[in-house]
Amino acid sequence: MIMSAPVRRTDDSETPAPVDEESLVRRARRGDLEAYDELVRRHQERIYATIYHMTANHEDANDLAQESFIKAFQALKSFKGGSSFYTWLYRIAVNKTINFLKQRKNRIHMSLNDLDFNAEHDPDLMALISDKTPRREAGLAELQEKLNTALLKLSEPHRLVVVLHDVQGQSHEEIAKIMDCNIGTVRSRLFYARQQLQALLSDYLK
Amino acid sequence: MNEHENNFESLRRLLVLKRHETPPPGYFNYFSSQVLQRIRAGDTGKSANWLEDLFGQALWLEKLLQAFDVKPVFASAFAGALCLLLFLGIIYAERPEITSQPLLQAATTTTSLAAVSPVSLSQSADQTGIVSSTDPVLSLQPVASLFGQQNSLAQPVSFSPSGN
Repeated sequence: MIMSAPVRRTDDSETPAPVDEESLVRRARRGDLEAYDELVRRHQERIYATIYHMTANHEDANDLAQESFIKAFQALKSFKGGSSFYTWLYRIAVNKTINFLKQRKNRIHMSLNDLDFNAEHDPDLMALISDKTPRREAGLAELQEKLNTALLKLSEPHRLVVVLHDVQGQSHEEIAKIMDCNIGTVRSRLFYARQQLQALLSDYLK
Repeated sequence: MNEHENNFESLRRLLVLKRHETPPPGYFNYFSSQVLQRIRAGDTGKSANWLEDLFGQALWLEKLLQAFDVKPVFASAFAGALCLLLFLGIIYAERPEITSQPLLQAATTTTSLAAVSPVSLSQSADQTGIVSSTDPVLSLQPVASLFGQQNSLAQPVSFSPSGN
């Protein structure tokens, strides 16, 4: 592996200049692992989160996210730059996850992450559970489980659209690029998925 | 489309809960180094060594070890159970009266048969034309058949007390 000049980290207070993603990709393509390390750090949270929300399982998400980055590194030479590295990486992660979920079809096992501190102070969430449960923590945990169970009942393409749009806040255009379909398909899938979710979670949405 | 968005407003508020699900603290500190380590090791996305293969095939084993990590009391209980099994095994192995008695009887019977057989065997061999000897080399030589009878080293022997 070729090791070139060190990448200046964005969290370094002395040299905060961000390195252009395109040049990082070029260096990583030549085998520069330090440049690839920077790319992984930039995208690890969003890639992990997407896979986690699709699988509802931390261990599976960890494995799949790591394997997605490994596969992306091995396939870097085939990356032509027609789309952004970010979109290309997302495609790899999404395809890997969907293949995994198809194999795991009837063996769904949830292993949910803990909710962060801010969840207990979100007024919208509190409004949803305040009149249903006497204890807030129990209410949130129950809600979290119900929500993940409902999401797992959606088909993979519908779940993916909801995760990318409503959970991660991506635009229809970006989702269309990731899923390699047109925007109309994204919108119709999103509408259908929301309808299904609304029916599944009707007890919490009244 | 805006009308649709309004229809699903409460659902979107509920989905915000997913954003609060976070992996264990410090998880991302080591993520990239793990990825690079696997790349350096030439990992193709499959398990790198036999131990990972074993874990991949035996999920129960992985879960057991994870339980040990999370709650050390499980590890203590498991170790205690193993010690108990070992102790019971030792006790069971040190009980000779159950298995050794029949074996001793069988050995005695075999010895008595061996003590009787040589003499009677040589007498019956003289009568049937088979040469017997204590010389192991000689006894292995086949005797030529004089009257066209088949002669072989292995002859059926009968122990009849009548003396005919």
